[in-house]
Amino acid sequence: MAAKTTAIILAVLLSFYSTGCVQKDKGKNEAVLVFKHGKIAGDPDLFKQLLERFEKENPDVKVKDETLPASTDEQHQFYAINLEGKSSDFDVLSMDVIWVPEFARAGWLRDISHLLPETERAEFFPGPIQAVTYNSRVYAIPWYIDAGLLYYRKDLLRNYGFSPPKTWQELVSTAQYITAREKDLYGFIWQGKQYEGLVCNVLEYFWSNGGDVVRDGKSVINSPQNIESLKFMQELIVKYKITPPLVTTAIEEPTRHIFGNGRALFMRNWPYAWNIFERDGSPVKGKVGVTTLPSFPNKDSASTLGGWQLGINKYSKNPEAAERLIRFLTSPEPQKILALTVGYKPTRKSLYKDKDLIREQPFIAGLYDVFMKARPRPVTPYYMMITQVMQPEFSAALTGIKTPEEALASAHKQIGHIMKVER
Amino acid sequence: MKDSGNRFVMPALVLLSLVTIYPIIYVFYLSLHRRLLIFDISRFVGIDNYIFLFKDDRFWNALKNTVYFTTLSVSLELILGLAIAMLLNKSFRFKGVARALVLIPWAIPTVVSARMWEWIYNTDFGILNYLIGAKINWLGSPFWAINAAVFMDAWKTTPFVVILLMAGLQVIPLELYQAARIDGANAWQIFRRVTLPLLKPVILVVLIFRTLDAFRVFDAIYVLTGGGPANTTETLSIYAYKVLFQTLQFGYGSTLSVVVFLCTGAISIFYIRLLSRGMR
Repeated sequence: MAAKTTAIILAVLLSFYSTGCVQKDKGKNEAVLVFKHGKIAGDPDLFKQLLERFEKENPDVKVKDETLPASTDEQHQFYAINLEGKSSDFDVLSMDVIWVPEFARAGWLRDISHLLPETERAEFFPGPIQAVTYNSRVYAIPWYIDAGLLYYRKDLLRNYGFSPPKTWQELVSTAQYITAREKDLYGFIWQGKQYEGLVCNVLEYFWSNGGDVVRDGKSVINSPQNIESLKFMQELIVKYKITPPLVTTAIEEPTRHIFGNGRALFMRNWPYAWNIFERDGSPVKGKVGVTTLPSFPNKDSASTLGGWQLGINKYSKNPEAAERLIRFLTSPEPQKILALTVGYKPTRKSLYKDKDLIREQPFIAGLYDVFMKARPRPVTPYYMMITQVMQPEFSAALTGIKTPEEALASAHKQIGHIMKVER
Repeated sequence: MKDSGNRFVMPALVLLSLVTIYPIIYVFYLSLHRRLLIFDISRFVGIDNYIFLFKDDRFWNALKNTVYFTTLSVSLELILGLAIAMLLNKSFRFKGVARALVLIPWAIPTVVSARMWEWIYNTDFGILNYLIGAKINWLGSPFWAINAAVFMDAWKTTPFVVILLMAGLQVIPLELYQAARIDGANAWQIFRRVTLPLLKPVILVVLIFRTLDAFRVFDAIYVLTGGGPANTTETLSIYAYKVLFQTLQFGYGSTLSVVVFLCTGAISIFYIRLLSRGMR
């Protein structure tokens, strides 16, 4: 008993002694970086290994990664409160694509333009680069990308002799033809609940009709193209009847369920749904195809850009080490590893020609065209206010409370008011 | 003796004022400012925010929704709660089990139950539409959405009303019922003349709790509909949250919070007056 106690005490003392020594040697120049991000998909160990690799390559830096709550609203709130309080508790932050201009305008982010010179910028997809640039300065590096896609049932299209639609009108006629002949099948489902996802959906119709929300710092949301687009969306429900009214409450998952149970011909959703459809036991396994979203006649298709960017807290005490970390995480090799292991879509164009990626994740490799057409939501520090105006107005138009003209006229008035805030 | 009592209360008073009075004063102070974090704007604007609020359609819409939700859900909960409490107050087999079962909805965290109801209300595979054999777009139609929220709230908080009312029923002496019966009163007369008057103080307490809670409703509706469709379910708290934490307009957001505070204050004073009159 006594011997055992002595041994334990000795061991404890020794460990104190030895760790004490190490800290004395390293303590002075070892930087501890705190990296805040949302939940990483898949096995958390894989991401840990990536960070360990960075630590091995940079022996003077330790990385502590901390996961934020799952809801993006809460993450935004966390950053806003802490950065406004000039907190230096974290160094590297991962940001939704719509926050960068806002945070940059508030002066919360470190200007990292020197990390992305012109030649380096050309390596990335254009959409995310646009999203991280504010007043010609770069405030974050795109980490992984997301964009709206059109999912379709290739078995049904083949049976009835249709090819994937290029225009919205083709989508309507294809869906009307097939749903009239199939039992219990919706034509086209998308996300229409009053939330950020609704804005992502509506913008795809605006853009694919040549419209936009803000141009040269002014609202152009009530343009004839936009009115036509919003009207078309409402008509999908009430006139063409290929979209069930339930979309006005739908977010991503309910639509994914309906399509995944084989109950819809077309669906607009993000790339994440693909892997779920291809799992064993999925009723639509092997029957799903994806393509770029349709457009209005003679216009370009566009999808809304999503994804996450890495930036540096302006108040960070280790900005130089933080730069090394985001540079590492956004470099080709780690992006490739994350793509192969957890399916995060790389922001670097060259990786889509990578042999391993094409072999292991052919689906991701095939998304190149979609990502080239991905457009960021209005890149302005006012975005969070503008979206708060758009969400209820779009919702009002879809549920028939207002006509598209009324909704967009009201949105135009309110956005104009918001853009005057600084004056 | 009295003096030393005051001294012992001091630490608690200081703590309370730190965590309640200071924030209240600060929110009021903020509400007189134009403060936008993002644009580094912070200046005193007097009552400008209140003038803007008066002309803000979205505020009036939120107020209307809040009042509608509060009135309907509280009345529903009181009526249902009273009925269930009377039933459970009778003696029957499995009374304990029944009482425990009634409590379940109240024990489920609000966010969880809101998610649950979101699926129950689902047009396509929700159990509600399956049971009634219809295809009603509960959360997507401007008419149904707010009523669906009321119904969910009634399901969730009626148990709370039941518990309080049951406690009230149990302290009514049985002799009163017996005396009434001997005098030839029927069941309705007993309820109207004996139960209800004696239950009045408890009912008022229930009303205070429920009205204040319902007036500040946030999480249940925020999770269920997010305020949609087209803001038809946006309550004052949801609007204030969006202005404060999503668009970071601390000035105007505080103005909204002050208004919610004044409303709940007025409601409490109204009820407390009723209550003190009832006690006399």
